[in-house]
Amino acid sequence: MLVSWNWLRRYVDLPMTEPELSERLSMTGLNHEGTEVVDGETVIDLEVTSNRGDCLGHIGVAREISVLYELPLCKPQPEPAEGSGKASDSIRVTNVFSDACPRYTARVIRGVKVGPSPDWLVEALRAVGIGSVNNVVDITNFVLMECGQPLHAFDLAKLAGDEIVVRPARPEEEIEAIDHKTYTLDPEMCVIADRDRAVAVAGVMGGASTEVTESTTDLLIESAVFTPLSVRRTARKLKLHSPSSFRFERRVDPQGVDWASRRCCELILEIAGGTLEQGVADTEPQLPAPTNVCLRLAQVERVLGVKVPDDEIRKILTALGCDEQTADVDKIHTCPPSWRHDLTREIDLIEEIARIYGYEKIPDDSPIPVAASQKRPFDEAVSKIRDVLVGSGISEAMTPSVVPADVDELVSPWTDRQPLTTETALLKGAKTLRRSILPSLLDSRHANQAASGADAELFEVAHIYVPPAEVDGLPEEQYCVAGVSGQDFYQVKGIVETLLRRLGIAAVPDVRQVEVHGLDKAWSIELTIAGELIGYVGQLCPDVQKSLKLEKTTTCFELNLDAMLAAAHLVPQFRSVSPFPSVSRDLNLVVDEAIRWVDLAASVRAAVGPVLADLKYVETYRDPAKDGEGKKRILMSIDLQSPDSTLTNAQADAMRGDVVDRCNADHGAVLLG
Amino acid sequence: MALADFIRSLDDLESQAVAAFREATDNDGLEEVRIRFLGAKNGQLKSVQQQMSSVDGPDKKAAGMRLNAAKGNIQASFEQAVEQLSQRAQKSGPAPDPTLPGNPVRLGHVHPVTQTIEHLKEIMGRMGFEVVEGPEVEDPWHNFVALNIPEDHPARDPLDNFYLATAERNGSGKTYAEGDRLLRSQTSTVQIRVMENRQPPIRVISLGRVYRPDEADATHYPMFHQMEGLLIDRGVTMANLKTVLNMFATSYLGEEVKVRFRPSFFPFTEPSVEVDYWWNGSWIEFGGAGMVDPAVLTAVGYDPEEVTGFAFGLGVERLCMRRHAVTDIRDLFSGDIRFLSQF
Repeated sequence: MLVSWNWLRRYVDLPMTEPELSERLSMTGLNHEGTEVVDGETVIDLEVTSNRGDCLGHIGVAREISVLYELPLCKPQPEPAEGSGKASDSIRVTNVFSDACPRYTARVIRGVKVGPSPDWLVEALRAVGIGSVNNVVDITNFVLMECGQPLHAFDLAKLAGDEIVVRPARPEEEIEAIDHKTYTLDPEMCVIADRDRAVAVAGVMGGASTEVTESTTDLLIESAVFTPLSVRRTARKLKLHSPSSFRFERRVDPQGVDWASRRCCELILEIAGGTLEQGVADTEPQLPAPTNVCLRLAQVERVLGVKVPDDEIRKILTALGCDEQTADVDKIHTCPPSWRHDLTREIDLIEEIARIYGYEKIPDDSPIPVAASQKRPFDEAVSKIRDVLVGSGISEAMTPSVVPADVDELVSPWTDRQPLTTETALLKGAKTLRRSILPSLLDSRHANQAASGADAELFEVAHIYVPPAEVDGLPEEQYCVAGVSGQDFYQVKGIVETLLRRLGIAAVPDVRQVEVHGLDKAWSIELTIAGELIGYVGQLCPDVQKSLKLEKTTTCFELNLDAMLAAAHLVPQFRSVSPFPSVSRDLNLVVDEAIRWVDLAASVRAAVGPVLADLKYVETYRDPAKDGEGKKRILMSIDLQSPDSTLTNAQADAMRGDVVDRCNADHGAVLLG
Repeated sequence: MALADFIRSLDDLESQAVAAFREATDNDGLEEVRIRFLGAKNGQLKSVQQQMSSVDGPDKKAAGMRLNAAKGNIQASFEQAVEQLSQRAQKSGPAPDPTLPGNPVRLGHVHPVTQTIEHLKEIMGRMGFEVVEGPEVEDPWHNFVALNIPEDHPARDPLDNFYLATAERNGSGKTYAEGDRLLRSQTSTVQIRVMENRQPPIRVISLGRVYRPDEADATHYPMFHQMEGLLIDRGVTMANLKTVLNMFATSYLGEEVKVRFRPSFFPFTEPSVEVDYWWNGSWIEFGGAGMVDPAVLTAVGYDPEEVTGFAFGLGVERLCMRRHAVTDIRDLFSGDIRFLSQF
């Protein structure tokens, strides 16, 4: 809201400097956005919060200043002289849409001379950024900027019939607005109509057909209340926002409607001449009685934590225009002024007291009682995960959760359901709630390679949004940790395994080769623990890698944090260390190519039982000449340790024999001679 | 001479010799040791060997076997020492330069926003605030209604929110009615969820991503993180709020920081204020705060006559950028390793 210094001085003395006033206004609710000098005139830009529609005019701001500096407010009392004709003979107003328009008033002036505005008026408007049109339009704008009440002047002669109807627009009804664009309306919108057609979009913009021009002589002056929701919806649908709609959306003073109308007429008579007809067409002259608000004095300290003297409270409320209805020792019944629609409850008055009394007087040495708080296991787990990943050379990224559809399509380990989308894009083209973090990281990896040739190893901890099975269900928001790396598959898998161990997950995860959209089938696995899916590790499939022009084979992983946390033991538990030495045995088993390590290892574990302290994979070797085609040698090492005795060589050899037998029985494995 | 004595002196000799050969560090030293133990004239092995003759007849065979074993072992350890020294000699080339840089460990970096969040959690944790989280996809009840944002409030405008799209799916009908679900525009939603499920006292911070349709530029991004604090109890006042924010500021930014309130408007708090910090010579806006509106307390089933509370919300990115002198918020979400690796 642009406020001109000279304009303000019409209503209140300004004995202070501009910076001092701006600072004071900032500290009491009208945030100072900046000051400019326009043609030698100082103009202050104030930010007005949406609850303070009363400050969208100079008088409103002047009123604030009068309260803050205890200065008298000098508000004009317009008493335009009326002629002999009666307005009721010229015009009738019918309101059939009172939901959108609680009050409509019209006055009639005949015989005006439309022409240029006097210099003072042109200058006043120019200071607040409004260009001059003609004296009548300028006066409506002046009064708008004076008190915040939008006004509209119609060329009375161009209105068909002698009735103004406030009604819903007809389906597909069209109107050419004064911006000379044609808008198509719908019945949710409120219009001002004459006998034949809509002549204004209520509260938003007037129509071109009835606008005031040089040839206009008779005027209808509209001053009305339109409801915020109706105006906002209309303005938004038409993409037509105006100073009027802005003010109606923030509510106007229902009592101020008539004042503004009289003020406007008075200025027109003074500047453009003409005769005001007697009376006013008013659809709602009886305004609802204002509500009383009761302030219990003790509540001020209960909320603010500072004792404001009772007489100070009374003084502030009175200055703000809250009439004290009945006085009591411990409470005040008051009637807030009509321009303050935001003062309806006790707490509203307490806020006003705090604002005017000054937030700087609220102490900042009033501590809260001690309370114990605990770190969530989740935070502990995630911090361990970060440690492992960072220690493995992978950096944390943060990428937008809403991505373009083609990015989301790249990799999708968790679901093949259609992703959810937003109505508006988060960033250019990004409307898809991602079903996996991996596509975003791959995108970043690609961008890094393109920008700096960097082999970016990245991870991210974030939600993914798994679309619901039910069409009207909510998406499942799943916390995941995902990563992309140029290290080879086994290294990345090793990092994931380390990460699980770091969380105290003792169980070796079950590993199964699976098909994952976007990952290479030969190099994709899912990890489960006790039947619960933990996540995926896999190499990017060559097609995707090619489409992203990634130079290196990229290995990806994505793990479900909740599932990991369920299996985690974040507080390590001591287990006694066996005092007896462990014995190692190597095995070199010849097996079919198709045999998977995970199955072989299961057989080894089953054969040895709890005495197996460790099972290490050493290497795979192929020698078709000696072992035959389709065979491979797998070298492994087992550590055996008993908790209660030293294993003898004979015992160890026997166990090794058991392993060989079991592997032979399960997988046809043969010990290399 | 008794066999036992003979064997003991052999044992001693053998262990001394093996140790001495192992410790030899150059060829001269090794030769010296060789002469001392294996020397043909005065070598110690020679002199022990000479004691053989005084061993009793029946034990002579055993003594001889032990003597040969000891001889073999000493000889072997000598050869090993020769081998080791020659290996060492082969390795030694030009003198090494130990001032060359070490082999770097490739470390990743924790995202600066994460570091900020962890820092905030830690500070607030010391003041007794527990961390809570909630869903990012919300319903209008939690995002608006319970927060005292009525249907006609501009904050609910579709242009100011990310509503989920209505989608036809395999002809099976609509997913969501218009305006039914949205990405939350503030973390206050979590407070509502906490209050719905718990009775006061409540002392929590909710952290997470929030979404507002802003054009991305150096200071705006349509997705960012908020930390929102909430304290509800008997007798909580605005003075407590100011104190907590003051302590937070001193903890996060340093002793010199001052806090001030400016009036503002948020539907879910009343009185509502903007919080500014005086830091490095200017006032910086850090977020909004206020006393929880009685209507919000009522909406979650609390009695505003019994309890009061305060809430505050801070933008995490803004704090992070201040602290690390980052000037463009878009860098935080770029995934650019050149940016990330600075933290």
